[in-house]
Amino acid sequence: MASKKHSRFIDWVNGDTAEKVHEYKFIQKTVPPHSEQAHDEVISTRKARLFNISYEISAVLVCVILVAVLLFTVFNLPLFGSAGNPASNEVAERYLEKGLEETGAVNAVAGMILDYRAFDTFGESSVLFIAVGCVMILLMRDKNNISATEDSLEENERLIEIETNDPILQKIVLLIVPCIFLFGIYVILNGHLSPGGGFSGGAIMGAGLILFAVSFGIDAMQSFFSIKTFKAITTTALMCYATLKAYSFFMGANGLETGIPLGTPGAILSSGLILVLDICVGLIVACTMYGFYSLFARGDI
Amino acid sequence: MVRDIIGLVLIGLGMFMILTAIVGVFKFRYVLNRMHASALCDTLGLLLVIAGLIVILGINAQSLKMMLITVFMWLASPVMSHLIARAEVMTHAHIKDECEEINQCQSK
Repeated sequence: MASKKHSRFIDWVNGDTAEKVHEYKFIQKTVPPHSEQAHDEVISTRKARLFNISYEISAVLVCVILVAVLLFTVFNLPLFGSAGNPASNEVAERYLEKGLEETGAVNAVAGMILDYRAFDTFGESSVLFIAVGCVMILLMRDKNNISATEDSLEENERLIEIETNDPILQKIVLLIVPCIFLFGIYVILNGHLSPGGGFSGGAIMGAGLILFAVSFGIDAMQSFFSIKTFKAITTTALMCYATLKAYSFFMGANGLETGIPLGTPGAILSSGLILVLDICVGLIVACTMYGFYSLFARGDI
Repeated sequence: MVRDIIGLVLIGLGMFMILTAIVGVFKFRYVLNRMHASALCDTLGLLLVIAGLIVILGINAQSLKMMLITVFMWLASPVMSHLIARAEVMTHAHIKDECEEINQCQSK
């Protein structure tokens, strides 16, 4: 006689373990949209029209000025291949020769982007942060910008999504997602020892988050990654980066004393602040990737 | 020397599989037929090419990584094909004209 375990196995072979999905009735409710009169009144006033005209004129002006400045800069760049170029001066040599003892990163690229050129990387992280902020302003679902009809449509879509969740996909995703996260964490933590670092590792982790959200739906995702966690992680990582690096901007390129030894090949805790900065960048990139997907797909995180 | 020849033969077989898949993808016209053809590429083609590379390199860290690539591709690619086929069956209005077996599947 087969024990309980074996009968479960037989059920599994026969494919009967998938729970019976509740039947949903997809009824299209017709709800009147939120009133739009107040919005029209504001636009029709004279002040608002003046504002619109001046807004367009100033936008064109800003664009023209920006184009002029950039073109002027391009014409003043040094000629290609001349001996006085920044590319052929002593900076590159110094990065390669002194990089290990000054930054502590065995991987010279990590030392460059997170120590010598940390300000540049800070700008890139801020660009990601601002971009996700703008997408939130434009696409975040809100009572003010979504009518009730659209809301009920969205709710219907969510129910269809729940009903059509695929057990095959979910089983495989449960196998693969931990591996993706492990690889992403490995790439981030080894950024100062081997090729990799915050941006690539963050992108891998973001892809893992997106895969999980696609296969399990937003409800499962929000149980551990809601808008609150998103905001907390992104702002904390960016502020952490800013504080750590602002210190060395104001102290004449002297980094904070961390007590972490510099430049031992193979040891993860061996590069001063670079490991911490890598983790910050990785968190920002992972959250931003997932935030973009989620906002574009359903206007919510 | 012998190892190189075995490896090259395996890689050649894999390349032939991938070529077959490409011909199939361009020859067939319907989605499900094309998927059936392209499945050769990322299962058997990939396996043969990577097996050839492992035979040439011998067992070391690199070949372990290549085996991992095979494992993950074999996990991910059938699921992906399944999802595409499912989307096609669910959204195609006249699926019974294209595929006779579908009636049987749905009545189960």
